[in-house]
Amino acid sequence: MLLYQFRMAFLSLKRNPFLSALLIGGVALGIAVSVSFLNIHQLLAQNPIPEISDRLFYVQIDAWSPNSAFDSDNPEEPPDQLTYRDARGLMESDIPTYKSAMFKSLMTLHPEREDVRPFRVMTRLCFADFFPMFDIPFRWGSGWSRSADAGPDRVVVLSYETNVRLFGDVDTVGRSVRVEEDDYRVVGVMEPWEPSPKFYDVLNGAFQGAEGMFMPFDFTEPLEINTSGNTSGWGFTTGVGFRELRLESEYTWIQMWVQLDDADQRDRYLTFLNAYTEGQKALGRMERPFNNRLRNVEEWLDVREVVPAHATTMAILSVLFLVVCAFNLIGILLGKFLARAPEVGVRRALGASRRSVFAQHLVECQTIGLLGCFLGLLLSLVLLRGIDRLFGSEGSTLSLEMVAVGFLLAVAAAFVAGVYPAWRICRIPPATHLKLQ
Amino acid sequence: MHNKVRFWLIALEVALTLAIIVNCVGMVLDLRAELLRPTGFDEENLLFVRTEPFGTQYEDETFRNTRQDQDLARLRSMPGAVDAVALSSVPLSGGGSGTSREAEGSDISTTVPYFVVTEGALGAIGTRLVAGRDFIAIDFEVEANEEGFIPRRNIIVSKKLAEKMFPNGDALGKTIGDGAGNVEDTIVGIVDPLQNFWLSSPVGETTMLQPGRPGDRSSMLYLVRTEAGSRSAVASGLEEVLLAEQNERIVTIQPLPEVKDGFYRDNRALVQILLWVTVLMVLVTSLGIVGLTSFSVTERTRQIGTRRALGATKGDILRYFLLENWLITGCGLALGALLAVALNYTLLQAAGAAKLDFRLLIAGMFLLWGTGVVAALAPALRATAVSPEIATRTV
Repeated sequence: MLLYQFRMAFLSLKRNPFLSALLIGGVALGIAVSVSFLNIHQLLAQNPIPEISDRLFYVQIDAWSPNSAFDSDNPEEPPDQLTYRDARGLMESDIPTYKSAMFKSLMTLHPEREDVRPFRVMTRLCFADFFPMFDIPFRWGSGWSRSADAGPDRVVVLSYETNVRLFGDVDTVGRSVRVEEDDYRVVGVMEPWEPSPKFYDVLNGAFQGAEGMFMPFDFTEPLEINTSGNTSGWGFTTGVGFRELRLESEYTWIQMWVQLDDADQRDRYLTFLNAYTEGQKALGRMERPFNNRLRNVEEWLDVREVVPAHATTMAILSVLFLVVCAFNLIGILLGKFLARAPEVGVRRALGASRRSVFAQHLVECQTIGLLGCFLGLLLSLVLLRGIDRLFGSEGSTLSLEMVAVGFLLAVAAAFVAGVYPAWRICRIPPATHLKLQ
Repeated sequence: MHNKVRFWLIALEVALTLAIIVNCVGMVLDLRAELLRPTGFDEENLLFVRTEPFGTQYEDETFRNTRQDQDLARLRSMPGAVDAVALSSVPLSGGGSGTSREAEGSDISTTVPYFVVTEGALGAIGTRLVAGRDFIAIDFEVEANEEGFIPRRNIIVSKKLAEKMFPNGDALGKTIGDGAGNVEDTIVGIVDPLQNFWLSSPVGETTMLQPGRPGDRSSMLYLVRTEAGSRSAVASGLEEVLLAEQNERIVTIQPLPEVKDGFYRDNRALVQILLWVTVLMVLVTSLGIVGLTSFSVTERTRQIGTRRALGATKGDILRYFLLENWLITGCGLALGALLAVALNYTLLQAAGAAKLDFRLLIAGMFLLWGTGVVAALAPALRATAVSPEIATRTV
């Protein structure tokens, strides 16, 4: 029966190709636009590390000025980064499974080859735990050991791209690379790894790529490495030396992540944070009320409002666009169906039930919906390319989930748009139309 | 009205379309305005040259300063170059420093983005001095105190900053400081306009210029202004010239238009997408109107014939269908105005949008009304072609 109805539907669509193209094209356009923008929104809002995101916590303590809040628009928010000395203090705790303070800085690399000029690469200074905590995949070698942190040993981890630029597509574990003035040993080369959003550092461009090199945090002091990320400060800092300005000041410029596997561990760590703050208060710092925060990845991305507002706006507008397309569909279907009233009158007179006429027309709507959906999904692939080009991003792919959403939207739109016209046509009294024949 | 449902369908479609396009175009206008703000920089003729040294000798301040002076002299002497200065950050790049400042006699602190610049900056930038004076040599001869900072400086501010900190318009000669008396800078000049490195308004336009020695051991930045039309010629020779001076450094060159393109990329992309959405919406809606008017004509073919047979002119028939169309779009537009306000409110709450401009709403109503007429015209003209005899045919 269904097959028969589909065949009837195709016949009906073939009868007026222009109108059918208009109907299918309308659905396709609505699906393409809404699926594309929903897809972009989803890409921006996705959880970049779903398996462990609820066990990774961003650490914040309020060491800001006693006189004013860090963010005057959100006075309850503690500063978004830590001071160097607080990061040092918090790294003392053994409670977290993994923990790493971190920041990023530009470093100069000197390739071995004479014909390649030195270049600068964004480098993350972090602890050994950074790699296991974020589950970072390695192509060759691994991260450095905790004992290398303490040295600090002259070791680095390279991104795949940096490795290619320096040496080519070869295993370079154990080889040496000159960073600034010294030689370092490569202990690992990562697989291409681009979490998006870049959850571990949303403060300096949430959609920037990952760093090209990683080295032990404790080189910060001996090499006087300055951050390339944001620094926020309050009050007046005297002195000009690196030590006074960076290490001993109230400037906040260090980020810190910890992994806490269960509620108990989390409670113990919070107790530790509060005790640490208490200790600092005793030293005359941190005059603001207790305001320590542990936020997991999703909470942190939420607080930082990582998804650009315009992406949300476009998603809303694109769904409304589909609604308008559906309205259009109702109007045209209504006309198309009612124009067929005499024919339906004959069928009804020959014994077709209301129910079967209704079903027949709904199936026709669904046929239009499905064809439109198929065409729309193809169109959205093109649209995504175009949008990528406009924004200078790349590789926005249509997720399987969005294909499903597109399918559901098409079926729903075709159903909603089809019900009224189909109902109208099945209510045709057979007699009036027979008279006209 | 013959068919109520069909009437309301079109009306609702028109209403939704109005609501969406008015919000889209509002956002487009907002984004365009941001894009077209004058920057105060002679955009077409400016090059930014960053040098990132890797030798240890740059840790020595005297070496660094001598290097900077020599680089600037060399850059100025290049054929096609008009002027060159050193400064602390690239404008329209998103990255730079701000400092917290209070106006003399006030305790409201404001975040002030600033450039540290060497002598001749105003000329090299190309902005206009509207009050006071340019920096002079003596402004640069300030010494740090024993604590390592410079407590008193003469500064130049953008007009927007002057107005923000001194709303009475008497900024010239006044001081702005850190509030604790450690730093107090005197405003000696006001320029207009002058954007900085931040995108958002108004903080992107409230700029301070500090005389000094920008750059440190890891990075120095130069601004080169070229003669009109010779920007790329100067750029092509720059790296070689600087490396010939001293080669233990990485030199990167960026023309300002390129920086600006990157800065406003999202903004431009969004403008295009919103315009496309607007055009498609109007197109879809007009197709809807064409379709429905056509059906309404087809359905009433006999009725039209009868009316024609009873003496109605072609003009009467045309007027009838157009009037029907006006009535429908009119209702839709009235409803759409309400929807537009509601959608604007929702978007402002949930995400980002421009506040609804009522002139825009009126313009949108006229546009859709016109579109409705044009869309209905073809089917309505077809209706006038119905011959009176059709009324008699099938009886």
